[in-house]
Amino acid sequence: MNAPDNHLERRARELYREAARQLDPTTAARLRTARRNALAGADGSSPAQRLLQLMLPAGAFAAIAFAALMLSSPVQGPVGEAPGVAVSAKGEIDGDLPPDAAAADPALYQNLDFYGWLAKNGDSQASR
Amino acid sequence: MHEDVPMESQHARSGDADDDAMNSAISTLGGELLAEDIRAVPASMDAFLAQVERRAFRMAEVNLGHREDALDAVQDAMLRLVKHYSDKPPQEWTPLFWGILRRRIVDLQRRRKVRSIVVGWLGGRDEDGDELPAWEPPDHSPGPLERLRDSQSYADMAAAVKLLPQRQREAFMLRVLEGLDVAETARAMGCSEGSVKTHLSRALQRLRDQLEDWR
Repeated sequence: MNAPDNHLERRARELYREAARQLDPTTAARLRTARRNALAGADGSSPAQRLLQLMLPAGAFAAIAFAALMLSSPVQGPVGEAPGVAVSAKGEIDGDLPPDAAAADPALYQNLDFYGWLAKNGDSQASR
Repeated sequence: MHEDVPMESQHARSGDADDDAMNSAISTLGGELLAEDIRAVPASMDAFLAQVERRAFRMAEVNLGHREDALDAVQDAMLRLVKHYSDKPPQEWTPLFWGILRRRIVDLQRRRKVRSIVVGWLGGRDEDGDELPAWEPPDHSPGPLERLRDSQSYADMAAAVKLLPQRQREAFMLRVLEGLDVAETARAMGCSEGSVKTHLSRALQRLRDQLEDWR
C-alpha cells in the first residue's frame, strides 16, 4: 500500500517543484518585485506613512496644549468687555475705585485747571 | 466546498485502520522527502521569501485558479509576514507564511463568492457543480503551464487537487507538496494535528482514485 502512495506523493511534489521552477519570467519578475516591496516596507510603512505617523502625535500634542492654554487663560478683548463695564459701574457706585476715564464726561478734561483751583481753594475755605 | 469542516471536532476518534496505515506511509515518506530536501534555516527574510515565493504562487494559483489573484495573495502574504513577524525566529517563518497565505486565499475565495452573488447572472458553480467561486474572469494569457516540460501531468494533478474539498486540499498541499511536518501544517491550517492527518488521508484517497494512471 505504501508504494503507490509514496509514488503519488513523490510525483506530485516533483511536478509542483518543477512547475515553480519553470515559472514564466514575467510572473517571476513580479514576485521578485513584490518581495522587494515587502522588504522595503519592513519598518512598517513608506516614507509618507512614517511622516504621517510622526505628525499625528505632534499635531495631537499641539491641539491639547492649545486647548489647555485656552482654558487656563480667559480671553480678554471684546468678549471680556461686559464684565469690565459691570465692575466699573459698581466701582462708581461704591466710590472705592478711580473713575473710569472712558465713562467720564469729556467736559471734565477741558477744565482741568479750574477744577484743580477749585479743589485747592475749596479745601482752604473749608479749613477756615 | 467545506464539506468536511464540520468534521473538525471528530478527529480525536479518527483512527480507523486505513487512516493509520496511510498516515504511517505519509510519515515514512515525509522522512524520506525531508532527507532529500533538507529545509535549512533561512539566513534572512529575503532569502526565505526568495525560496518560497514561486511555490507560494503555484499553491495560490491552484487554489484560486487565477493568476492575478494568486499574485495578489502571495504579495499580501509576503507583506504581512515581513510587517508582523520579522522579529520571530526564522524557524517559525515557514508555518507562519503558509498560514498567512492560506488565510489570504480563503479571503479571496470568500470575496469572489460575495461578488458572484451580486453578479448573480454569471452563476455560482463550475461545470461539476462544485465549490469553486462562481465568478472567475477568463484568463486568456498563455499560461505558464504550457511551458512546462510535464505540463500535462502537472495540469492533471492541479485539476485533481482543485477538486478536493478545501481543507483536504490545504492539508495535501502543505504536508505533501510543501513538505511541512504535521505540527507545522496544523499550525498553518489552524487546526489540530489529528485533523491534518484525517484531511490528508482522505485527500490522498481521493487523489488516488482520480489519478489512477499515475500508479
